Amino acid sequence: MRTRPDVGWIEAHTENYFHDGGPGVRALERARAFYPLSLHGVGLGLGSADPLDRGHLERVRSAVRRFEPALVSEHACWGHVDGEHFNDLLPLPYTEEAVEHLAARIREVQDYIGRQLLIENLSAYVAFAASQLDEGEFLAAVVERSGCGLLLDVNNAYVNARNLGLDLESFFAALPRAAVQEIHLAGHSRRRLGQHEILVDDHGSAVCEEVWSLYGQALRYFGPVPTLIEWDNDVPALEVLVAEAHRADGILREFHAAAA
Amino acid sequence: MPQRPEARQRLREIQAAFGRSLRADDAGGPDSALQESADVRVADRMAVYRNNTRHNFRNALELAYPVLRKRVGNDFFRQLAHEYQVAHPSRHGDLHWVGQDFPAWLDVRLAGSDYAWLAELARLEWACEEANVAARNEPLALERLASIPGELLENVELRFQPSLRLLRSSYPVWSVWQANQGDDAGAPVDLAAGGECCVVTCSAERVAVYRLDATDFALLELLVQGSPLGPAVRTSAADAAVLQRLLAWAFGEQLVVGLSSSAPA
Repeated sequence: MRTRPDVGWIEAHTENYFHDGGPGVRALERARAFYPLSLHGVGLGLGSADPLDRGHLERVRSAVRRFEPALVSEHACWGHVDGEHFNDLLPLPYTEEAVEHLAARIREVQDYIGRQLLIENLSAYVAFAASQLDEGEFLAAVVERSGCGLLLDVNNAYVNARNLGLDLESFFAALPRAAVQEIHLAGHSRRRLGQHEILVDDHGSAVCEEVWSLYGQALRYFGPVPTLIEWDNDVPALEVLVAEAHRADGILREFHAAAA
Repeated sequence: MPQRPEARQRLREIQAAFGRSLRADDAGGPDSALQESADVRVADRMAVYRNNTRHNFRNALELAYPVLRKRVGNDFFRQLAHEYQVAHPSRHGDLHWVGQDFPAWLDVRLAGSDYAWLAELARLEWACEEANVAARNEPLALERLASIPGELLENVELRFQPSLRLLRSSYPVWSVWQANQGDDAGAPVDLAAGGECCVVTCSAERVAVYRLDATDFALLELLVQGSPLGPAVRTSAADAAVLQRLLAWAFGEQLVVGLSSSAPA
C-alpha cells in the first residue's frame, strides 16, 4: 500500500481474513480504503456431499460484513469427505445429481451471507465416467438453478482443453453470457509424463500467449468483464504483476473501443 | 426444491473413493469412477491431486513453523509433515489451523530422542501464529494507572492484549527462535542452558517474542490470570521494584488494554 499501484481493483482469498485481527487483516482494511475488493473463497467445498461446514460459512459471512466486497466468489468443486478436508479444489462429476446438489448448496450460502456468489470453473486433471453433461452445460445448469453468477477462469478453461479435450468454443457458447461477472487469468506449469504432458494450474508464472489469445475470444463472448491476474505462487516483483494487469486492461480497452 | 437423498449418496460414494485414493501412498486411483484417457494414465492424473493435497498441507506447516523447519532441514521437516498429516488430517477448509496439533504430536513423536526439545520450539512458534491473527485493542498509557489513588492500587486488575501468550519452557527456545530470525544458519545455542520464560504478542505490525526473568514472568502470569496487583505481588516472589519494572515494561510494549478495580475482600 506504500506504492499504491495503478490497478482498478484487488482480490483476496477469503480464508486469509477469517481472523479477529493481525497485520494481514489491518493491511486489507487499509487496501480496502483505496481499492474495490473481491473476496475469493477456496475452502467451502460447496460440492462436498458431506454437510457444509457451518463454522466456515459463518466466517465467510463475517468477512463479507467486515470488508464489504464488491464481489464474492467460490469454486465449482468439492473439498471434504468423512470429516477430512483435502484443502484442494477437487472436481465434480458433471451429473444431474451434482448439479442439483451444488445448486442447493449455493442457494444455501447465498441466503446465509445475503449476497450472490460467483462460481469459478476449475482446472481439472481427471474426468468422471459418470458425467452426463459437458462442463459448460453443467455450469449453465448450476447458474439456472441457483441464481449464482460465474467467475470465468480463462486459464482453467485452457488447461482443461489441453488436459481433458474441452472444446473451448462449445464451452464459451454454453455459458449464460450475463452470468459471467469476473474473469481470472493466470499462469500454469507443464508436467511431463512419458510421451505426454499435463498442465497444472499453479498461479506461479506469467499468463501464456495462448491464454491471452483465449482471453480476447472470451471478451467477444461475454463483453468487457472485470479481469484479475492471479499470481500467488513464486510471486514476482510488484511491477511484473502490475504489468500483467495493465496488459489485461489494454485488451479490455481495445474491446471497448472496437465495440463503441 | 428439496434435494433427493439418493443423489447426495451417489455423489458421496464417488467422493469417498476419491478421498481414499488421495490418502493412499500408492499411485492408484478410484479407477471405476474415472474416465480412462489415451494419453496420460489415470494414476498419473490422480498424482497431481495427491501432490497438491500434500504440498498445501506441508506449505501451511512451513509457514507456521519456519524456525523449526530451518533447524531440522527440509528433508526431515517434510517427513514429519507427512507423518503428521496421516495422524492429524486437516479438519478445516481454512489451512491456517492444520498446525494446531503439531506441538502435541511432536511431544510424542520425538519423546526420548535428541530432538525432544523441538516440541517446545513448535509450541513457541504456534503461539506466534495465534498472536499474529488475534484482535488488537487500544493500549492504555501508564499514566492511566498512575492516576489511580495509591490506596486503590492494591485491588486493580489489568486486562491485556488478546494476542498475549505466555510460555515456560525447559529448553532455551526463545534463544533458538531469536538466533534463527535471519536468512543465515543461525548461531548455535547451548540446549543444556536451561529453560526460558517467553512472552509472545503482536504489535500493530508484527509478532514480538520476549524473554522475561522468572520472577517477572511469575508475576505477569498471575496478572494475566486476573489477580489484582496486591495479591499478585504477595503470591509471587516479587517485590515493589519488580512490580514497577514489570508494569513499566508491559505498558511500554502496549500490552495493557484495560484497568478495573475489584472490591477489597
